[in-house]
Amino acid sequence: MVVQFAGSLLCNYKGHEGAQRESVEDGLFVTLVTFVVVPLRTLVVKLHHRPPATRNGIVLKPIDIVVLMTATGGEVLLSRRAFLKTASAAALVPGAVGSLLSWAADSGISIPGKDGLIVRSYRFLDLETPVEFMTDWITPVNHFYVRNHMLAPTEVDAASWKLTITGEVKKPLALTLADLAKGPVREITNTLECAGNGRSLQSPKVPGIQWGKGAVGNARFSGPSLKSWLEKAGIKDTAKHVQFRGLDGVPANVPAFVRSIPIDKAMDGDTVIATHMNGAPIPIHHGYPARAITPGWVGAASCKWLTEITVLDKPAEGNFMIPGYRFPDTPGKPGEPVKPENTHSLTALTVKSLIAAPGDGAKLPAGTHTIQGVAWAGEADITKVEVSTDGGDRWNKAELGRDHAKYAWRLWNYAWKPAKSGSYVILSRATDSQGRVQPETAVWNPSGYLYNAYDQVRVYVQV
Amino acid sequence: MFKFSRFDPLAKPVIALCGLLLFGASAVFSQSSPEEQLPAGAAKEKAEDTCLVCHEARIIVQQRLDKAAWTKEVDKMVRWGADVDPKDRDALIDYLSTNFSPDQPAYEAPRTKADSTEKLKSKH
Repeated sequence: MVVQFAGSLLCNYKGHEGAQRESVEDGLFVTLVTFVVVPLRTLVVKLHHRPPATRNGIVLKPIDIVVLMTATGGEVLLSRRAFLKTASAAALVPGAVGSLLSWAADSGISIPGKDGLIVRSYRFLDLETPVEFMTDWITPVNHFYVRNHMLAPTEVDAASWKLTITGEVKKPLALTLADLAKGPVREITNTLECAGNGRSLQSPKVPGIQWGKGAVGNARFSGPSLKSWLEKAGIKDTAKHVQFRGLDGVPANVPAFVRSIPIDKAMDGDTVIATHMNGAPIPIHHGYPARAITPGWVGAASCKWLTEITVLDKPAEGNFMIPGYRFPDTPGKPGEPVKPENTHSLTALTVKSLIAAPGDGAKLPAGTHTIQGVAWAGEADITKVEVSTDGGDRWNKAELGRDHAKYAWRLWNYAWKPAKSGSYVILSRATDSQGRVQPETAVWNPSGYLYNAYDQVRVYVQV
Repeated sequence: MFKFSRFDPLAKPVIALCGLLLFGASAVFSQSSPEEQLPAGAAKEKAEDTCLVCHEARIIVQQRLDKAAWTKEVDKMVRWGADVDPKDRDALIDYLSTNFSPDQPAYEAPRTKADSTEKLKSKH
């Protein structure tokens, strides 16, 4: 299977360690590669207008090209410090070349295909959707958040890609993309949310990507149902869980990103092997050429760049099942550790709403203002969204948007005409079909999962 | 494909000059690296050598953790392959817990360019 990584040099780095002593010549060598050869090659690529390797309209970032060229062309054996110099300089150079050739430079980090997103991490890439973008029922791909635990492939060759189904099955399968395209297509409109969304709002602070509110989006995902292929493979009576593994590049001794879902969820017909997102082949950032979509569940259950489906007679083990992605059985005191035996694996998302507009800190003139946002509840339906404009004393029912689907968020809006000038705290809270109500305070937990307290913005009104 | 073996003695200063000139040009024209920088401090170089091999600095600088939590993180990363000399461990934990403690103001994350996709479309 042909796969490329933006940071392949990083991945292979350990193998190169100690291969060559750092010396003056190494320094010169690195200087030459970094500042002469790499920029020249980048320039050549740019001048020829050769579209960099593309997948579904996603073009490799300049840094990808540089790092890949360095990795493939240089046969570089570097010491640790020299390598770091190369890596950071390689990151610098495309910026320079890009600026020289670009006639309309704008601010921000360039990630083609991802517009105006908050960069929580560049390597590995983690991008958050600003809440002000959450005004559409379907989140366009260029605004959809990105979560990677590890190195994301920059290119996957669809022709050599294979998806295996093995384990507790009667007939193991190795499927091509063409195989997946043969059967009936199941389309699910799913609100995908990272389990750690809102982590930065937890108090006391917990380690992990410090997501604000926007590691969430709603998209149409389609492909064959997982059930249809598990039935073809013939699951045995011993089957209890279904494990996913994708092409994430695993650095050093980091445990692989491997998780499993219970067989009932895998076989419910709504869990899909998604080859398309919003009607187009799934972009590389989101798992090209196929990903699992486990609808209504935390994002980590929807493995990207899927290549291995393994039917197990028990839940998968490993870091991302235990201690990762677990939640206290009963709420404890904020800041206190939770014993592993008092936790359970995260499954479905909880009930939650966000305010997309007005923005926090907005200054509003006299008149009627639309308070609007989104609300979702994992596998349940949103039945009500309420808005308070007085910090939570009185609650007013918001109008729910017309578009709805199982697993999909619901738009909502509330028309508000403030009577007098002043500072207002606007709150939103959602209720779902299971009777769950978004709480005033979220359950604190050591990894900051499932933050779902009332959403809140402060606005200043001048009547 | 390119390959280097030995440089002619005369080539060295030329290469160095080329490097310097291009470095100057990058410094002038580039906006900056898309990766975050670690702040100055006694263990900065150790942190760079150890941590930034696998991930960028932004993953570190956005954390707001006390010393106990940083100790857990460093020990976890060592288990995961971070090459920390035992004699450097405490200095590294001190550096992290001093610079990225809960009393520090929140990290302001940058954004991706607002219109990179539009530019992409108009080019093709």
